[in-house]
Amino acid sequence: MDKWDIFIRIFSKDIRTILKETAVDYDRVQEIRLRVQAPLLLIYGDQEFYLTSEGTLTTRRELAFQVTGQAIRETLEYIGSHSLYAFEEEIRQGFLTIQGGHRIGLAGKTILDERGIRTMKFISFLNVRLAHELRGCADGVIPYLYDQAGLCHTLLISPPRCGKTTLLRDLVRQISDGSEKAGAGTSRSVSRPGMTVGVVDERSEIGACYQGVPQNDLGIRTDILDCCPKALGMMMLIRSMSPQVVAVDEIGSREDLDAMEQVMNCGSRVLATVHGSSLEDIRRKPVLKTMLAERWFGRYVVLENKRSVGQVEGIYDSGGRRLFPGEAGV
Amino acid sequence: MMQIWMRLAGAACMVAGSSGLGFWLSGQYRERLRELEQLRQMIFLLKGQILYANATLEEGLEAVGRRTRGALAGLFLQAADRIAQQEGEPFCQIWKEAVGQLEQAGAGHALSRSDLAALAALGEHLGFLDRDMQERTLLLYLEQLDLQIQALREHRQERCRLYSSLGIMGGLFLTILLI
Repeated sequence: MDKWDIFIRIFSKDIRTILKETAVDYDRVQEIRLRVQAPLLLIYGDQEFYLTSEGTLTTRRELAFQVTGQAIRETLEYIGSHSLYAFEEEIRQGFLTIQGGHRIGLAGKTILDERGIRTMKFISFLNVRLAHELRGCADGVIPYLYDQAGLCHTLLISPPRCGKTTLLRDLVRQISDGSEKAGAGTSRSVSRPGMTVGVVDERSEIGACYQGVPQNDLGIRTDILDCCPKALGMMMLIRSMSPQVVAVDEIGSREDLDAMEQVMNCGSRVLATVHGSSLEDIRRKPVLKTMLAERWFGRYVVLENKRSVGQVEGIYDSGGRRLFPGEAGV
Repeated sequence: MMQIWMRLAGAACMVAGSSGLGFWLSGQYRERLRELEQLRQMIFLLKGQILYANATLEEGLEAVGRRTRGALAGLFLQAADRIAQQEGEPFCQIWKEAVGQLEQAGAGHALSRSDLAALAALGEHLGFLDRDMQERTLLLYLEQLDLQIQALREHRQERCRLYSSLGIMGGLFLTILLI
Protein backbone atom coordinates (compact mmCIF):
# COMPACT_ATOMS: atom_id res chain seq x y z
CA MET A 1 0.00 0.00 0.00
CA ASP A 2 1.55 3.31 -1.05
CA LYS A 3 1.50 6.63 0.80
CA TRP A 4 -1.51 7.90 -1.15
CA ASP A 5 -3.60 4.83 -0.34
CA ILE A 6 -2.77 5.16 3.34
CA PHE A 7 -3.45 8.87 3.34
CA ILE A 8 -6.89 8.71 1.70
CA ARG A 9 -8.19 6.43 4.43
CA ILE A 10 -9.07 9.53 6.45
CA PHE A 11 -11.86 10.39 4.01
CA SER A 12 -15.45 9.22 3.89
CA LYS A 13 -16.16 6.21 1.71
CA ASP A 14 -17.46 8.17 -1.29
CA ILE A 15 -14.54 10.62 -1.34
CA ARG A 16 -12.12 7.78 -0.71
CA THR A 17 -13.45 5.98 -3.78
CA ILE A 18 -12.90 9.10 -5.88
CA LEU A 19 -9.41 9.74 -4.57
CA LYS A 20 -8.49 6.11 -5.09
CA GLU A 21 -9.18 6.56 -8.79
CA THR A 22 -7.29 9.85 -8.96
CA ALA A 23 -3.95 9.48 -10.69
CA VAL A 24 -1.70 11.99 -8.95
CA ASP A 25 1.89 12.23 -7.81
CA TYR A 26 1.54 12.18 -4.01
CA ASP A 27 4.49 14.52 -3.52
CA ARG A 28 2.82 17.24 -5.57
CA VAL A 29 -0.53 17.15 -3.77
CA GLN A 30 -0.67 20.14 -1.47
CA GLU A 31 -4.24 20.45 -0.23
CA ILE A 32 -7.63 18.83 -0.45
CA ARG A 33 -10.54 21.09 0.38
CA LEU A 34 -13.96 19.87 1.49
CA ARG A 35 -16.81 22.33 1.80
CA VAL A 36 -20.38 21.25 2.34
CA GLN A 37 -22.48 21.42 -0.84
CA ALA A 38 -19.48 22.69 -2.77
CA PRO A 39 -17.06 21.08 -5.23
CA LEU A 40 -14.28 18.82 -4.01
CA LEU A 41 -11.05 20.70 -4.64
CA LEU A 42 -7.48 19.54 -4.96
CA ILE A 43 -4.46 21.83 -4.92
CA TYR A 44 -1.92 20.04 -7.02
CA GLY A 45 1.42 21.44 -8.17
CA ASP A 46 0.40 24.98 -7.14
CA GLN A 47 -2.79 24.71 -9.21
CA GLU A 48 -6.40 24.27 -8.16
CA PHE A 49 -8.47 21.48 -9.71
CA TYR A 50 -11.99 20.15 -9.25
CA LEU A 51 -12.36 16.42 -8.77
CA THR A 52 -15.03 14.57 -10.70
CA SER A 53 -16.88 11.56 -9.31
CA GLU A 54 -14.70 9.41 -11.59
CA GLY A 55 -11.60 10.74 -9.87
CA THR A 56 -10.26 12.85 -12.71
CA LEU A 57 -8.91 16.36 -12.31
CA THR A 58 -10.77 19.08 -14.16
CA THR A 59 -11.04 22.84 -14.30
CA ARG A 60 -14.75 22.67 -15.26
CA ARG A 61 -16.88 23.32 -12.24
CA GLU A 62 -20.02 21.67 -13.60
CA LEU A 63 -18.22 18.31 -13.65
CA ALA A 64 -17.07 18.53 -10.05
CA PHE A 65 -18.18 16.13 -7.33
CA GLN A 66 -20.27 17.88 -4.68
CA VAL A 67 -19.28 17.26 -1.07
CA THR A 68 -22.18 16.45 1.28
CA GLY A 69 -22.57 17.18 4.97
CA GLN A 70 -22.61 13.44 5.66
CA ALA A 71 -19.26 13.03 3.89
CA ILE A 72 -17.73 15.74 6.07
CA ARG A 73 -19.14 14.22 9.26
CA GLU A 74 -17.85 10.79 8.26
CA THR A 75 -14.44 12.20 7.35
CA LEU A 76 -14.23 13.91 10.72
CA GLU A 77 -14.96 10.60 12.43
CA TYR A 78 -12.06 8.92 10.65
CA ILE A 79 -9.70 11.86 11.10
CA GLY A 80 -10.35 11.67 14.83
CA SER A 81 -10.09 7.86 14.95
CA HIS A 82 -13.72 7.78 16.12
CA SER A 83 -12.54 9.78 19.14
CA LEU A 84 -13.09 13.47 18.47
CA TYR A 85 -13.33 13.97 22.25
CA ALA A 86 -9.55 13.47 22.37
CA PHE A 87 -9.05 16.45 20.06
CA GLU A 88 -11.12 18.98 21.99
CA GLU A 89 -8.18 21.35 22.38
CA GLU A 90 -7.24 21.05 18.72
CA ILE A 91 -10.84 21.63 17.60
CA ARG A 92 -10.92 24.71 19.81
CA GLN A 93 -7.85 25.96 17.97
CA GLY A 94 -9.38 25.14 14.61
CA PHE A 95 -7.06 22.45 13.37
CA LEU A 96 -5.74 19.03 14.17
CA THR A 97 -2.70 17.11 13.05
CA ILE A 98 -2.99 13.50 12.02
CA GLN A 99 -0.56 10.63 11.50
CA GLY A 100 2.01 11.69 8.94
CA GLY A 101 1.99 15.31 10.12
CA HIS A 102 -0.84 16.35 7.82
CA ARG A 103 -2.79 19.29 9.16
CA ILE A 104 -6.58 19.41 8.99
CA GLY A 105 -8.06 22.90 9.24
CA LEU A 106 -11.65 23.08 10.50
CA ALA A 107 -14.34 25.70 10.27
CA GLY A 108 -17.93 25.64 11.42
CA LYS A 109 -20.02 27.18 14.15
CA THR A 110 -18.07 28.09 17.27
CA ILE A 111 -19.54 27.59 20.74
CA LEU A 112 -18.37 30.20 23.22
CA ASP A 113 -18.14 30.24 26.98
CA GLU A 114 -16.69 32.75 29.43
CA ARG A 115 -13.12 31.63 28.59
CA GLY A 116 -13.50 31.98 24.83
CA ILE A 117 -14.14 29.29 22.24
CA ARG A 118 -15.32 26.08 23.93
CA THR A 119 -15.75 23.94 20.87
CA MET A 120 -16.96 23.94 17.30
CA LYS A 121 -20.10 22.31 15.94
CA PHE A 122 -21.60 21.97 12.47
CA ILE A 123 -18.08 21.61 11.09
CA SER A 124 -18.70 22.12 7.38
CA PHE A 125 -15.33 23.10 5.99
CA LEU A 126 -12.18 21.03 6.02
CA ASN A 127 -8.79 21.89 4.62
CA VAL A 128 -6.49 18.89 4.47
CA ARG A 129 -2.92 20.10 4.07
CA LEU A 130 -0.42 17.41 3.25
CA ALA A 131 2.94 17.44 4.93
CA HIS A 132 5.86 16.52 2.72
CA GLU A 133 9.30 15.77 3.99
CA LEU A 134 11.78 17.33 1.55
CA ARG A 135 15.20 16.05 2.51
CA GLY A 136 17.89 18.43 1.39
CA CYS A 137 15.65 21.48 0.92
CA ALA A 138 17.80 23.36 3.45
CA ASP A 139 21.09 22.61 1.65
CA GLY A 140 21.34 26.08 0.17
CA VAL A 141 20.39 27.84 3.39
CA ILE A 142 22.35 26.06 6.08
CA PRO A 143 25.87 27.39 5.26
CA TYR A 144 24.60 30.94 5.87
CA LEU A 145 23.34 30.15 9.34
CA TYR A 146 26.81 29.71 10.80
CA ASP A 147 29.38 32.36 11.75
CA GLN A 148 32.73 32.06 13.54
CA ALA A 149 30.95 31.35 16.83
CA GLY A 150 28.91 28.54 15.31
CA LEU A 151 25.19 28.32 14.63
CA CYS A 152 23.36 31.67 14.86
CA HIS A 153 19.95 32.21 16.42
CA THR A 154 17.81 31.94 13.30
CA LEU A 155 14.30 33.11 12.46
CA LEU A 156 12.50 31.82 9.39
CA ILE A 157 9.97 34.37 8.15
CA SER A 158 7.36 33.18 5.73
CA PRO A 159 3.74 33.69 4.68
CA PRO A 160 1.48 30.63 5.03
CA ARG A 161 2.00 27.81 2.51
CA CYS A 162 5.57 28.78 1.65
CA GLY A 163 7.24 25.79 3.24
CA LYS A 164 8.63 27.17 6.46
CA THR A 165 7.85 24.04 8.46
CA THR A 166 9.38 21.90 5.72
CA LEU A 167 12.52 24.03 5.75
CA LEU A 168 12.65 24.02 9.55
CA ARG A 169 12.33 20.23 9.56
CA ASP A 170 15.27 19.80 7.20
CA LEU A 171 17.36 22.37 9.08
CA VAL A 172 16.74 20.47 12.32
CA ARG A 173 17.76 17.22 10.65
CA GLN A 174 20.95 18.64 9.18
CA ILE A 175 21.96 20.51 12.34
CA SER A 176 21.30 17.40 14.41
CA ASP A 177 23.19 15.03 12.13
CA GLY A 178 26.00 17.47 11.37
CA SER A 179 28.13 17.35 8.28
CA GLU A 180 31.76 16.98 7.46
CA LYS A 181 31.59 18.87 4.21
CA ALA A 182 28.87 21.49 4.51
CA GLY A 183 28.62 23.70 1.47
CA ALA A 184 31.43 21.85 -0.23
CA GLY A 185 32.89 23.74 -3.17
CA THR A 186 31.78 27.10 -1.87
CA SER A 187 33.52 29.76 0.19
CA ARG A 188 31.39 28.56 3.10
CA SER A 189 32.82 25.05 3.03
CA VAL A 190 33.02 24.09 6.71
CA SER A 191 32.65 21.02 8.80
CA ARG A 192 29.63 21.11 11.08
CA PRO A 193 29.59 18.84 14.08
CA GLY A 194 26.19 17.43 14.98
CA MET A 195 24.35 19.28 17.72
CA THR A 196 21.77 18.20 20.27
CA VAL A 197 18.46 19.65 19.14
CA GLY A 198 15.31 19.94 21.22
CA VAL A 199 12.12 20.40 19.21
CA VAL A 200 8.93 21.70 20.76
CA ASP A 201 6.39 20.35 18.32
CA GLU A 202 3.17 21.92 19.53
CA ARG A 203 1.15 20.83 16.51
CA SER A 204 2.97 17.58 15.71
CA GLU A 205 3.90 18.97 12.33
CA ILE A 206 7.67 18.96 12.55
CA GLY A 207 8.31 15.42 13.70
CA ALA A 208 4.79 14.11 12.96
CA CYS A 209 5.07 11.82 15.97
CA TYR A 210 2.70 8.88 16.06
CA GLN A 211 2.44 7.27 19.48
CA GLY A 212 5.68 8.99 20.42
CA VAL A 213 7.67 7.89 17.39
CA PRO A 214 8.65 10.61 14.88
CA GLN A 215 7.48 9.80 11.36
CA ASN A 216 9.85 12.37 9.85
CA ASP A 217 13.62 12.16 10.10
CA LEU A 218 14.74 14.92 12.46
CA GLY A 219 18.28 13.69 12.94
CA ILE A 220 20.06 11.42 15.35
CA ARG A 221 20.56 14.00 18.11
CA THR A 222 17.02 15.33 18.27
CA ASP A 223 14.63 15.13 21.20
CA ILE A 224 10.98 15.96 20.53
CA LEU A 225 8.45 17.30 22.97
CA ASP A 226 5.24 16.52 21.15
CA CYS A 227 1.96 18.44 21.45
CA CYS A 228 3.41 20.71 24.12
CA PRO A 229 2.74 24.46 24.24
CA LYS A 230 5.85 26.23 22.96
CA ALA A 231 6.51 28.48 25.94
CA LEU A 232 6.23 25.62 28.44
CA GLY A 233 8.05 23.17 26.19
CA MET A 234 11.11 25.34 25.63
CA MET A 235 11.73 25.64 29.35
CA MET A 236 11.04 21.96 29.93
CA LEU A 237 13.58 21.01 27.29
CA ILE A 238 16.22 23.35 28.74
CA ARG A 239 15.75 21.82 32.19
CA SER A 240 15.49 18.23 31.14
CA MET A 241 17.39 17.59 27.89
CA SER A 242 20.04 20.36 27.82
CA PRO A 243 19.76 20.97 24.08
CA GLN A 244 22.33 23.03 22.20
CA VAL A 245 19.61 24.12 19.81
CA VAL A 246 15.92 24.62 20.51
CA ALA A 247 13.59 24.59 17.49
CA VAL A 248 10.00 25.87 17.51
CA ASP A 249 7.42 26.52 14.83
CA GLU A 250 5.19 29.56 14.50
CA ILE A 251 6.07 31.77 17.43
CA GLY A 252 3.90 34.78 17.99
CA SER A 253 2.73 35.33 21.56
CA ARG A 254 4.39 37.29 24.35
CA GLU A 255 4.85 34.02 26.29
CA ASP A 256 6.71 32.49 23.34
CA LEU A 257 9.08 35.45 23.24
CA ASP A 258 9.70 35.36 26.99
CA ALA A 259 10.52 31.66 26.83
CA MET A 260 12.75 32.16 23.79
CA GLU A 261 14.65 34.93 25.57
CA GLN A 262 15.25 32.60 28.49
CA VAL A 263 16.49 29.89 26.15
CA MET A 264 18.92 32.34 24.56
CA ASN A 265 20.10 33.40 28.01
CA CYS A 266 20.75 29.76 28.86
CA GLY A 267 23.25 29.54 26.01
CA SER A 268 21.18 27.45 23.65
CA ARG A 269 20.68 28.49 20.04
CA VAL A 270 17.14 29.15 18.84
CA LEU A 271 15.69 28.09 15.52
CA ALA A 272 12.19 29.49 15.07
CA THR A 273 9.62 30.28 12.42
CA VAL A 274 7.11 33.10 12.26
CA HIS A 275 4.34 34.18 9.90
CA GLY A 276 5.31 37.25 7.93
CA SER A 277 6.25 38.41 4.48
CA SER A 278 9.41 40.40 5.20
CA LEU A 279 11.57 41.88 7.93
CA GLU A 280 9.58 45.08 7.60
CA ASP A 281 6.38 43.13 8.18
CA ILE A 282 7.79 41.69 11.42
CA ARG A 283 8.92 45.16 12.49
CA ARG A 284 5.31 46.30 12.27
CA LYS A 285 4.00 43.56 14.59
CA PRO A 286 3.63 44.85 18.16
CA VAL A 287 4.87 41.73 19.94
CA LEU A 288 7.56 40.66 17.49
CA LYS A 289 9.21 44.00 16.73
CA THR A 290 11.21 43.80 20.00
CA MET A 291 13.14 40.81 18.65
CA LEU A 292 14.36 42.78 15.67
CA ALA A 293 15.00 46.00 17.55
CA GLU A 294 17.11 44.19 20.14
CA ARG A 295 18.79 41.98 17.53
CA TRP A 296 17.90 38.68 19.16
CA PHE A 297 18.54 36.74 15.98
CA GLY A 298 21.77 36.45 14.05
CA ARG A 299 20.06 35.31 10.87
CA TYR A 300 16.71 35.90 9.21
CA VAL A 301 15.62 33.64 6.38
CA VAL A 302 12.72 35.10 4.41
CA LEU A 303 10.66 32.76 2.21
CA GLU A 304 8.29 33.64 -0.60
CA ASN A 305 6.15 31.77 -3.13
CA LYS A 306 6.24 34.15 -6.08
CA ARG A 307 8.08 31.76 -8.33
CA SER A 308 7.58 28.49 -6.46
CA VAL A 309 6.74 27.33 -2.98
CA GLY A 310 9.67 27.45 -0.57
CA GLN A 311 11.69 29.98 -2.57
CA VAL A 312 14.22 31.82 -0.38
CA GLU A 313 13.71 35.54 -0.90
CA GLY A 314 16.76 36.41 1.15
CA ILE A 315 18.94 35.62 4.13
CA TYR A 316 19.81 38.54 6.38
CA ASP A 317 22.10 39.06 9.35
CA SER A 318 21.12 40.62 12.68
CA GLY A 319 21.45 44.14 11.28
CA GLY A 320 19.26 43.36 8.24
CA ARG A 321 22.20 43.13 5.82
CA ARG A 322 21.44 40.74 2.98
CA LEU A 323 23.80 37.75 2.88
CA PHE A 324 21.92 35.85 0.21
CA PRO A 325 21.45 36.20 -2.72
CA GLY A 326 24.23 38.80 -2.26
CA GLU A 327 22.49 42.02 -3.10
CA ALA A 328 22.23 45.30 -1.19
CA GLY A 329 20.68 45.30 2.29
CA VAL A 330 16.99 45.77 3.00
CA MET B 1 -23.21 -61.45 36.58
CA MET B 2 -21.97 -59.68 33.52
CA GLN B 3 -25.27 -57.82 33.27
CA ILE B 4 -24.98 -56.51 36.82
CA TRP B 5 -21.49 -55.21 36.16
CA MET B 6 -22.72 -53.55 32.98
CA ARG B 7 -25.54 -51.90 34.89
CA LEU B 8 -23.23 -50.73 37.63
CA ALA B 9 -20.80 -49.32 35.06
CA GLY B 10 -23.66 -47.51 33.27
CA ALA B 11 -24.93 -46.12 36.54
CA ALA B 12 -21.46 -44.91 37.48
CA CYS B 13 -21.12 -43.22 34.08
CA MET B 14 -24.51 -41.57 34.48
CA VAL B 15 -23.71 -40.27 37.97
CA ALA B 16 -20.28 -39.11 36.85
CA GLY B 17 -21.67 -37.38 33.75
CA SER B 18 -24.49 -35.72 35.58
CA SER B 19 -22.21 -34.62 38.41
CA GLY B 20 -19.71 -33.34 35.86
CA LEU B 21 -22.42 -31.26 34.23
CA GLY B 22 -23.37 -29.85 37.63
CA PHE B 23 -19.76 -28.98 38.45
CA TRP B 24 -19.27 -27.51 34.99
CA LEU B 25 -22.32 -25.25 35.40
CA SER B 26 -21.07 -24.24 38.81
CA GLY B 27 -17.64 -23.47 37.31
CA GLN B 28 -19.23 -21.45 34.51
CA TYR B 29 -21.09 -19.40 37.07
CA ARG B 30 -17.85 -18.62 38.90
CA GLU B 31 -16.06 -17.95 35.62
CA ARG B 32 -18.78 -15.57 34.45
CA LEU B 33 -18.46 -13.67 37.71
CA ARG B 34 -14.68 -13.53 37.32
CA GLU B 35 -14.94 -12.30 33.74
CA LEU B 36 -17.44 -9.61 34.64
CA GLU B 37 -15.07 -8.47 37.39
CA GLN B 38 -12.24 -8.43 34.88
CA LEU B 39 -14.40 -6.48 32.43
CA ARG B 40 -15.17 -3.95 35.13
CA GLN B 41 -11.47 -3.52 35.76
CA MET B 42 -10.83 -3.13 32.03
CA ILE B 43 -13.54 -0.49 31.71
CA PHE B 44 -11.98 1.37 34.64
CA LEU B 45 -8.61 1.25 32.87
CA LEU B 46 -10.22 2.46 29.63
CA LYS B 47 -11.85 5.31 31.52
CA GLY B 48 -8.43 6.23 32.91
CA GLN B 49 -6.89 6.12 29.46
CA ILE B 50 -9.58 8.38 28.04
CA LEU B 51 -9.83 10.86 30.89
CA TYR B 52 -6.24 11.13 32.07
CA ALA B 53 -4.10 10.10 29.10
CA ASN B 54 -6.52 11.70 26.60
CA ALA B 55 -6.21 8.51 24.57
CA THR B 56 -8.28 7.87 21.47
CA LEU B 57 -10.45 4.75 21.51
CA GLU B 58 -7.84 2.96 19.45
CA GLU B 59 -5.01 3.82 21.85
CA GLY B 60 -7.12 3.18 24.94
CA LEU B 61 -8.48 -0.18 23.80
CA GLU B 62 -5.04 -1.33 22.72
CA ALA B 63 -3.37 -0.23 25.95
CA VAL B 64 -6.00 -1.99 28.09
CA GLY B 65 -6.03 -5.08 25.85
CA ARG B 66 -2.29 -5.43 26.22
CA ARG B 67 -2.44 -5.18 29.99
CA THR B 68 -4.98 -7.98 30.36
CA ARG B 69 -5.51 -11.53 29.16
CA GLY B 70 -8.23 -13.78 27.90
CA ALA B 71 -11.10 -13.39 25.49
CA LEU B 72 -11.94 -9.88 26.66
CA ALA B 73 -8.39 -8.70 26.02
CA GLY B 74 -8.75 -10.17 22.53
CA LEU B 75 -11.98 -8.22 22.04
CA PHE B 76 -10.30 -4.92 22.97
CA LEU B 77 -7.27 -5.61 20.77
CA GLN B 78 -9.43 -6.66 17.85
CA ALA B 79 -11.52 -3.48 18.07
CA ALA B 80 -8.35 -1.34 18.28
CA ASP B 81 -6.93 -3.13 15.27
CA ARG B 82 -10.11 -2.59 13.26
CA ILE B 83 -10.05 1.14 14.05
CA ALA B 84 -6.40 1.32 12.99
CA GLN B 85 -7.22 -0.32 9.66
CA GLN B 86 -9.58 2.58 8.83
CA GLU B 87 -11.83 0.55 6.60
CA GLY B 88 -14.52 3.19 6.71
CA GLU B 89 -16.89 1.77 9.30
CA PRO B 90 -18.43 3.59 12.26
CA PHE B 91 -17.13 2.63 15.69
CA CYS B 92 -20.47 1.19 16.83
CA GLN B 93 -20.31 -1.28 13.93
CA ILE B 94 -16.69 -2.22 14.65
CA TRP B 95 -17.51 -2.82 18.31
CA LYS B 96 -20.73 -4.71 17.60
CA GLU B 97 -18.96 -7.02 15.18
CA ALA B 98 -16.09 -7.61 17.60
CA VAL B 99 -18.56 -8.52 20.38
CA GLY B 100 -20.46 -10.66 17.86
CA GLN B 101 -17.29 -12.63 17.14
CA LEU B 102 -16.81 -13.13 20.86
CA GLU B 103 -20.31 -14.56 20.98
CA GLN B 104 -19.55 -16.91 18.12
CA ALA B 105 -16.27 -18.01 19.70
CA GLY B 106 -18.40 -19.34 22.58
CA ALA B 107 -15.93 -21.55 24.39
CA GLY B 108 -13.45 -18.78 25.09
CA HIS B 109 -15.60 -17.09 27.69
CA ALA B 110 -18.41 -17.66 30.13
CA LEU B 111 -20.38 -14.45 29.58
CA SER B 112 -24.11 -14.79 29.00
CA ARG B 113 -26.02 -13.43 26.01
CA SER B 114 -27.36 -10.57 28.14
CA ASP B 115 -23.80 -9.68 29.24
CA LEU B 116 -22.69 -9.56 25.61
CA ALA B 117 -25.74 -7.53 24.58
CA ALA B 118 -24.96 -4.94 27.25
CA LEU B 119 -21.31 -4.92 26.17
CA ALA B 120 -22.30 -4.41 22.51
CA ALA B 121 -24.61 -1.55 23.52
CA LEU B 122 -21.63 0.22 25.12
CA GLY B 123 -20.23 0.85 21.63
CA GLU B 124 -23.33 2.81 20.60
CA HIS B 125 -22.29 5.87 22.56
CA LEU B 126 -18.51 5.56 22.89
CA GLY B 127 -16.58 8.14 20.90
CA PHE B 128 -19.62 10.41 20.69
CA LEU B 129 -19.33 14.05 21.78
CA ASP B 130 -16.84 15.15 24.44
CA ARG B 131 -14.85 13.57 27.23
CA ASP B 132 -17.64 14.13 29.76
CA MET B 133 -19.89 12.05 27.55
CA GLN B 134 -17.30 9.25 27.43
CA GLU B 135 -17.03 9.31 31.20
CA ARG B 136 -20.80 9.20 31.66
CA THR B 137 -21.18 6.38 29.15
CA LEU B 138 -18.50 4.33 30.87
CA LEU B 139 -19.85 5.11 34.35
CA LEU B 140 -23.34 4.05 33.30
CA TYR B 141 -21.97 0.77 31.99
CA LEU B 142 -19.88 0.31 35.15
CA GLU B 143 -23.03 0.79 37.20
CA GLN B 144 -24.79 -1.94 35.22
CA LEU B 145 -21.78 -4.19 35.67
CA ASP B 146 -21.71 -3.54 39.40
CA LEU B 147 -25.36 -4.51 39.76
CA GLN B 148 -24.77 -7.66 37.75
CA ILE B 149 -21.68 -8.58 39.75
CA GLN B 150 -23.46 -7.88 43.01
CA ALA B 151 -26.38 -10.12 42.03
CA LEU B 152 -24.02 -12.92 40.98
CA ARG B 153 -22.01 -12.65 44.19
CA GLU B 154 -25.12 -12.73 46.34
CA HIS B 155 -26.31 -15.95 44.77
CA ARG B 156 -22.90 -17.51 44.17
CA GLN B 157 -22.88 -19.96 47.08
CA GLU B 158 -26.43 -21.17 46.72
CA ARG B 159 -26.24 -21.38 42.91
CA CYS B 160 -22.94 -23.24 42.88
CA ARG B 161 -24.15 -25.61 45.58
CA LEU B 162 -27.42 -26.04 43.69
CA TYR B 163 -25.70 -26.88 40.40
CA SER B 164 -23.31 -29.35 42.04
CA SER B 165 -26.02 -31.01 44.16
CA LEU B 166 -28.48 -31.15 41.31
CA GLY B 167 -25.84 -32.74 39.16
CA ILE B 168 -25.04 -35.48 41.65
CA MET B 169 -28.60 -35.99 42.84
CA GLY B 170 -29.98 -35.91 39.34
CA GLY B 171 -27.50 -38.58 38.31
CA LEU B 172 -28.42 -40.74 41.28
CA PHE B 173 -32.13 -40.24 40.69
CA LEU B 174 -31.85 -41.23 37.04
CA THR B 175 -29.75 -44.25 37.99
CA ILE B 176 -32.30 -45.42 40.51
CA LEU B 177 -35.09 -44.77 38.08
CA LEU B 178 -33.44 -46.69 35.28
CA ILE B 179 -32.11 -49.57 37.37
